[in-house]
Amino acid sequence: MTFLELQNVRKIFPNGVVALQDVSLRVERGEFLAIIGLSGSGKSTLLRCINRLIEPSSGRILFEGVDVTHIRGEQLRQYRRRIGMIFQQFNIIERRTVLENVLVGALGRVSIWRSLVGAFPTEVVEEALHNLEIVGLADKATERVRMLSGGQKQRVAIARALMQRPEALLADEPVASLDPATSHSVMRYLEEINRQLGVTVICSLHFLSLVRRYARRVVALRAGSIVFEGAPAEITEEWFRYIYGDEAQEVEIR
Amino acid sequence: MSRRWQSVLLDFGIGLYGAVLLYRIVWVHMVQDGEAPPVTPPELGFYAVAGLIVVGLGLYLRCTLGAWIRWRQELKQWQRICALHWGLTLLVLTIWAGWVITKVSPLDLLSAEGLRSAGRLFGALLSPEFSILDKALAAMVQTIYIALMATLFGLPPAVVLGFLAARNIMRGHPLTFAFYAFLRVLINFTRSVEPLIWAVVFSVWVGIGPFAGMLAMTVHTVAALTKLYSEQVESIDSGLVEAVESTGAHPVQVVWFGVVPQVVLPFLAFTIYRWDTNVRMATVIGVVGGGGIGTLLMQYQGLARWHEVGLIVLVIAAVVWIMDYLSARLREAIA
Ligand SMILES: Nc1ncnc2c1ncn2[C@@H]1O[C@H](COP(=O)(O)OP(=O)(O)OP(=O)(O)O)[C@@H](O)[C@H]1O
Ligand SMILES: [Mg+2]
Repeated sequence: MTFLELQNVRKIFPNGVVALQDVSLRVERGEFLAIIGLSGSGKSTLLRCINRLIEPSSGRILFEGVDVTHIRGEQLRQYRRRIGMIFQQFNIIERRTVLENVLVGALGRVSIWRSLVGAFPTEVVEEALHNLEIVGLADKATERVRMLSGGQKQRVAIARALMQRPEALLADEPVASLDPATSHSVMRYLEEINRQLGVTVICSLHFLSLVRRYARRVVALRAGSIVFEGAPAEITEEWFRYIYGDEAQEVEIR
Repeated sequence: MSRRWQSVLLDFGIGLYGAVLLYRIVWVHMVQDGEAPPVTPPELGFYAVAGLIVVGLGLYLRCTLGAWIRWRQELKQWQRICALHWGLTLLVLTIWAGWVITKVSPLDLLSAEGLRSAGRLFGALLSPEFSILDKALAAMVQTIYIALMATLFGLPPAVVLGFLAARNIMRGHPLTFAFYAFLRVLINFTRSVEPLIWAVVFSVWVGIGPFAGMLAMTVHTVAALTKLYSEQVESIDSGLVEAVESTGAHPVQVVWFGVVPQVVLPFLAFTIYRWDTNVRMATVIGVVGGGGIGTLLMQYQGLARWHEVGLIVLVIAAVVWIMDYLSARLREAIA
């Protein structure tokens, strides 16, 4: 059975923008899939459809064969718990500590009252500390997030996602606001999570060099449609120009 | 509304307003110097005709204010000048009418006897009677506590309503959105009624006194804080909210971890500011019987004991200044 399958997914926003048209895609368990495309091509929309932050206008999304396209309420929350997500802007609570932020990832399995008063079970806190170790931030647990660098913030976000014990991790341009060296360090954590923990990673990226280095498969979007699907090595000069337009020039990031 | 209708309505309004001013103020009041007679249908007809005439002038000669906003670029020199004169005439008439209605009278302001009383009064105010300082301070403490209670009682409902009156929280479902719209109207109405008027309402209800004053301020505080809070909730970054949603958290948790951290400090700042405002309002409400320093002020004023009044004014000024300063510093510290 396919791990994740999108069938003819379309998304039209209320303002009439067609962000995705007829996107069909299969993702196998354990893959590291990159999504590329120009700004506005629909990468974020695609990722958000997968964990249903957005509801597709038509088409179907199957997760382990189960249709999740229109689920709601508790069912939707159960589904989201199985998929972690990280963002370009990190989206963590600036004024709280690193540990408090990581614990947010466990909200789905902690009772509402316990979470509201901040009384997380000991084993959950221990797991959070363990996940901080995985992303190399064990010594920062009690520090305020505001004090951290961009790369460290993104690692906090990764640790938060790991608290969900996710089967898949969606990453929406996770390194777009980081410098090259930091980008690689964050990407290596994603790689490790993919390899060691077997988490499927679907990651939108801007730099082809990062795609070549980390992804095993690439999907390219152009104006809301998939125009390329294959191995990173198969993206030739022609393909590059087709995906990014004639004006584009490839930039390296080392 | 299209620009065309705006311009026509504006001209109609100007014509009508000008006619009312000319007839009611200039003719009846100034020339005939009589009591204003009741409005009759022919008079209304006359006003409407005046409005229509100006509309006609605007549409055909294009020399009115309405024509100006509609054809701004294309008007000839004389048309612009004419429109400008419409505006000026209206302004002059309005100031004249205002003068008459307010009964402005430089003679009273500058009469010898008036100046003498004022001099006595200011002299007394400047030599305050310190023997009632303890009484004044006690009344001031009462005022501060009335303001504090109003702020504290107003806080919990305002926090809840602040979320329910935020568009981004409520737009998900038609039912919640309808509630949001209803709440907005209610809040705006409540806020637009001055606390002083609420004090009148509540003094009929629970009897005149500090309790009525506090209730009045509580109601106004709820409305004012709800508005400020909800605007804060509306301006939060949705990224964090989505991040918490994507963990599969319950909506209650999404609000607690995604929204609340972004708004607590601004909420606190607004609340402190509100307490500060309420102290000033409580003073004014005291004047109409809401207790505290305002009531004391009225008592001494009624007895024409101006030295005591002077002291009370001094105490009020000092406390308001201190509150103002403290609240600004507090808000700075948490910002
Ligand atoms: N909530 C929304 N309402 C209306 N239009 C939207 C919304 N979100 C995205 N869009 C539009 O959908 C299209 C695809 O947007 P999307 O964010 O998926 O692109 P992207 O590939 O992620 O771009 P970027 O690289 O800039 O992040 C764009 O034209 C965008 O303007
Ligand atoms: Mg995007």
